[in-house]
Amino acid sequence: MKGSLGTSLVLHTVALGFALVSLGTPASFDVADVEALPVDIIPVESITQIQQGDKKAPLAETAAPVPTTKPNIVQDAENAGDNEVDLKAPPTPVQRPIETEVAAAPEKTDNPLPNPTTETNTIKEIVPEETAPKPTEVAALPETKPEIAPEPTPEPTPEPAPEAAVAEELPLPDTIPVPAARPRPEPPKEQAKPAEKPAEKKPETPKAAEKPSDKKVADKKQETAKSTSSKDSDFNADEIAALLNKQEASGGGAKRSTETAALGGKKTTSGSSLSQSEMDALRGQIQNNWSIIAGIEGADGVIITVSMKLDETGAIIGRPEVTATGGSDTARRTLEGSALRAVMRSAPFKNLPVEKYDAWSEVVVNFDPSEML
Amino acid sequence: MEDVGLAAATHDVSLWALFMQAGIIVKLVMLGLMGASVWTWAIVIDKYVSFGKARRQFDQFEQVFWSGQSLEELYRTLAERQNTGLSAIFVAAMREWKKSFERGARSPIGLQMRIDRAMDVTMARESETFEGRLGSLATIGSAAPFIGLFGTVVGIMTSFQAIAGSKSTNLAVVAPGIAEALLATAIGLVAAIPAVIAYNKFSADAGKLSARMEGFADEFSGILSRQIDEKLQPRQAAQ
Repeated sequence: MKGSLGTSLVLHTVALGFALVSLGTPASFDVADVEALPVDIIPVESITQIQQGDKKAPLAETAAPVPTTKPNIVQDAENAGDNEVDLKAPPTPVQRPIETEVAAAPEKTDNPLPNPTTETNTIKEIVPEETAPKPTEVAALPETKPEIAPEPTPEPTPEPAPEAAVAEELPLPDTIPVPAARPRPEPPKEQAKPAEKPAEKKPETPKAAEKPSDKKVADKKQETAKSTSSKDSDFNADEIAALLNKQEASGGGAKRSTETAALGGKKTTSGSSLSQSEMDALRGQIQNNWSIIAGIEGADGVIITVSMKLDETGAIIGRPEVTATGGSDTARRTLEGSALRAVMRSAPFKNLPVEKYDAWSEVVVNFDPSEML
Repeated sequence: MEDVGLAAATHDVSLWALFMQAGIIVKLVMLGLMGASVWTWAIVIDKYVSFGKARRQFDQFEQVFWSGQSLEELYRTLAERQNTGLSAIFVAAMREWKKSFERGARSPIGLQMRIDRAMDVTMARESETFEGRLGSLATIGSAAPFIGLFGTVVGIMTSFQAIAGSKSTNLAVVAPGIAEALLATAIGLVAAIPAVIAYNKFSADAGKLSARMEGFADEFSGILSRQIDEKLQPRQAAQ
C-alpha cells in the first residue's frame, strides 16, 4: 500500500506539474476595436405615409406634383391636374388627339390635289346624299305629298337633278387644280336656293292656306339643311372621330400646383390608423344611440365586437357584424341585438376624416357594456 | 477575502495563481480533494497489483491441486508458508482434518461441519482483504463532487462579496473569483470520476475472486467428505 501510495503521489505531482506548465495563463480575449454603430429609431409613419408628388421627379424637401397651368377652379380638389372636374383617373395625354386632328385634316387637302378621280367619286357620293336641298325638299315633301304631291315634286326634283348632274359633270372634265372643296359648297347652296324658291313659290298658295306651321318647319329644316350643307363640304365619315377627339382629353384632377415637381406619390396618404380621439368619437356616436337595459342577468364580462364596412360618406355598407363573448347566453343575445340597433341608428358616421378613409373603410369597435351602464 | 477578487482583476489567472488567490476554505477544500485523488489512485494501483497477483496465484494453486499430487504432500509444503487465497482455504481445511483424525474423531458429520466452518472463516478473511479500501473509493466517488461544489459555492460567495466591495460588476472583477471557485469543482470531479470507475471495476473483480474461492471450498469440501466416508466406513464395519 505504501508503494502504491507513493506511486500515486508521484503520478499526481507529475500531472499537476504538467498542468501548471501547460495550462498556464490562458490567452486573454483581445476584443478588436469595433466602431460603434449609431442606431436611430425611425417611426414607421415616415415610410408608410406618402405625400402627393411626382413619382419620377427628384427628391426634394417637400413633395409637390407636376405644376399645372390652369388657374384653380375646383376648391379642395384632391388630385393634381388641369382638369375642370376632380377625377381620380390619371390625365390622358393631350398629344394623341392633336395627332389625329392633324392626320384627319390633311387627308382632305391632300386627296383632291393628286387624285381628281377619287374626288369626283366622293363628290358624287356627297352630292346626292347631302345636297341638302333634296332632303329638305323631301322633308317638306312627305308632309305636302299627300296634299299637293304631284305639283311640287316633279318640278324641284328635275331642276336640281340636272343642275347637280351638270355640276357633277362639269367639274369632272374641268380642271385638276381647282380645289374640290370650294366649288362644292357654292353650287349646292345655289342649287338649294333655287330649289327652295320654286318649292315655296309654287305651293305658296296651297301651303299657306293649309298649314303655315309646315312652312316654318320647312324653313327650319331648310335652315338646318343650309347649315349642314354649308358644313357638308368639310364633312367626312373619317372626320367624326377627329371631331370627337377635338375635345380636351379628360382625366386628371382639378388640384393646381405651382411648385416644381418633386418626388412623391399619387396622393397624400396620412397615417393608416385613426387617432384615439377619432376612434373615441366613433365609439361615442354609437354609445349615444345605445340604450342598454340595466340589470340584464349575466351581462358581466360581455364584450361586444362590432365590425362594419363604411363607404366614403360614412354610411354602413351591408350589415354590420356584431359578435359578443363572455357572459350568459341570453345577455349576449340581448346585447348583440341592442348593439346592432345602436350601430344602425348612428349611421352615417360623419365625423370621420375623409383622407383617412383607408383606415376606416373597415372598422372594428369593441364595447364593454358594463362600463356604459 | 474581498481583496482577492479585486486583485484578481489585475493579476494573472494561471492555475497556480488561481489556487493562491483562493480563500482559505476553498484552499482547504482543494487540498482535501487533492489528497482524496492521491488516495484514490493509491488504492487503484494497490488493488490492481494485488488482484493480478491473487488471480495468478489462484491459477497456480488450482493447477497444482488438480495435478493428482497427494493432498498430504501439498499440505506439508504449503503449511510452512504464509498462505493467501485458495491455498489458505486449503491449508485451513487440511489442518482441521489432521487435528480431527489425530485425536480420533468419531462423528463424520461433526468433522465435516468443522472443516466447512474453518474454510468459511478463512474465506471471509481473504475476501475482506480483497474488498478492503473499496469502500473508501465509493465514498470518494460519491462525496468528492459535493465537496468540490461546496468549494465553488464558497468561492462564488467570495467573489460576490468582492463585487459588493468594488461596486462594479465588470467582468474582469467577477471572472477570476468565479474561475477560482470553479477550480474546486474541477478538482472534485477529477478525484471522483476515477474513484467511481475504479470502485465499480474492483468490486466486480473482488466478487469474481470470492466466487472462485467459494467454488473451490465447495469442491474441496466434497472431496473431504468422500474421504471421511471412506475412512470411517471400515472402522464402523469392524465394530
